[in-house]
Amino acid sequence: MASKIIASTLRRSLSPKLLPHIRPLSTATAAVAAVAEPYDETAGISMKGVKISGRPLYLDMQATSPVDPRVLDAMLPYFVSRYGNPHSRTHLYGWESDEAVEAARAQVASLINASPKEIVFTSGATECNNISVKGVMHFYKEKKRHVITTQTEHKCVLDSCRHLQQEGFDVTYLTVKPDGLIDLNELRSAIRKDTGLVSVMAVNNEIGVIQPMEEIGEICKEFNIPFHTDAAQALGKIPIDVNKWNVSLMSLSGHKVYGPKGVGALYMRRRPRIRVEPQMNGGGQERGIRSGTVPTPLVVGMGAACELAMKEMEYDEIWVTKLKDRLLDGIRGRLDGVVVNGSTERRYAGNLNISFAYVEGESLLMGLKEVAVSSGSACTSASLEPSYVLRALGVDEDMAHTSIRFGIGRFTTEEEIDKAVELTVNQVEKLREMSPLYEMVKEGIDIKSIQWSQH
Amino acid sequence: MATPSRTEIISLFRSLLRSARQFPDYNIREYTKRRTIDSFRHNKTLSDPSSIAAAFSDGQSQLQVARRQSVVYSLYAPKIKSIMDVKP
Repeated sequence: MASKIIASTLRRSLSPKLLPHIRPLSTATAAVAAVAEPYDETAGISMKGVKISGRPLYLDMQATSPVDPRVLDAMLPYFVSRYGNPHSRTHLYGWESDEAVEAARAQVASLINASPKEIVFTSGATECNNISVKGVMHFYKEKKRHVITTQTEHKCVLDSCRHLQQEGFDVTYLTVKPDGLIDLNELRSAIRKDTGLVSVMAVNNEIGVIQPMEEIGEICKEFNIPFHTDAAQALGKIPIDVNKWNVSLMSLSGHKVYGPKGVGALYMRRRPRIRVEPQMNGGGQERGIRSGTVPTPLVVGMGAACELAMKEMEYDEIWVTKLKDRLLDGIRGRLDGVVVNGSTERRYAGNLNISFAYVEGESLLMGLKEVAVSSGSACTSASLEPSYVLRALGVDEDMAHTSIRFGIGRFTTEEEIDKAVELTVNQVEKLREMSPLYEMVKEGIDIKSIQWSQH
Repeated sequence: MATPSRTEIISLFRSLLRSARQFPDYNIREYTKRRTIDSFRHNKTLSDPSSIAAAFSDGQSQLQVARRQSVVYSLYAPKIKSIMDVKP
């Protein structure tokens, strides 16, 4: 059938004089055409050997969030006709783009109670973290040789710190309490004369706990040390005030607040002024801190997302909390051995990290193909190792292996939560039925007392 | 700005719900519906004419966004529907 269509199209487009006797193309060509259409069947999707009947429901808001249609609506004009380079000073195209970028800068600034002059647009929170950690230490390297951070930071902060260590800087990795929060006394005692930066993330990406930002800010103010925070997961979800928190630098990301991927913003305090060594050299855009043409459509999208987040924060918060309770009650009501990782009081509701005892996490994730969830951060989800964040909390190896992170957001519905509960409970029950460990526990054997043979 | 009449407000509400239904994306569709209903419910108690007019014009601009975006979403709708839209 397909070969006939191709042949007839060809026949129509080519003049009969050039190709007098065209015969139907071989079936091989038709087969190629069929393969090129990946979602050919209407019955479902088959990808990576998994067959599912529809697009999975999305519960991985910490990895990334969908773009809000209102954000996309603000961005599209800058993809279509307003394509000027915001740094062009000689024509209308440049001026209108520049105006849009400055408006977006003000939108981002007002969400965190900063001045627009303190915002630098970057490619994302990873770049912001790199500029903050490496940039600050490199700038003040003559006098300051020590950085304080925590064990549960995002990989990009930890890797930047590791990079500094290779250059001869000292790094203190603060431990966290079993609830995921840092001990303020430990922070205080870790501070040295040559401490140049304290970096603590606001909301943890894997377990969703909220660190005591104001208290940490107080301590940093007392010792006059710059305080950096990675607030990518906090932006638009909890109220942020750079003056209350007393942060000198703050990393923000666009795609965690229903904005586009590939854009972020770095807050840099002006009074007292914090200075960094740029990681990217070039045309001197963004006051020389981040050279490279500012991507107008993305920046406009981030601005729109921030303005929207300011309007919708309260409404979203109520909704997300309601769904989180529904999810947790639904699972707890039907299963035992369910543990929420991290503090239960000081946490962002949209991030629910749960461990299911006696179940192997990867098998659970494999079984939950109709729910898009993750075992931890997307950056490390390819490895079978348990999350380093959970290990830092002191979660047992067996429980760390079975964690699942449910990310709830603005667009999640009650029906989706009910479906996720049903699928999760069914899968866990199925896996526990097969598990010899669960059987032993049911018989009253303490599995911690079992001596496993070494191999 | 003139205060909108009751009929105008109800018509805006209906138009917003109608444009919500045009979204092929399950989550966006459900959210637009829920957000519309909740906003109108929230603004039900408004009595000051200027704030009624402001809320009305905000709703009108939201309707324009919804109308444009439901077209964009329809243009790029995935062939496979969300699992929530698949009837068992």
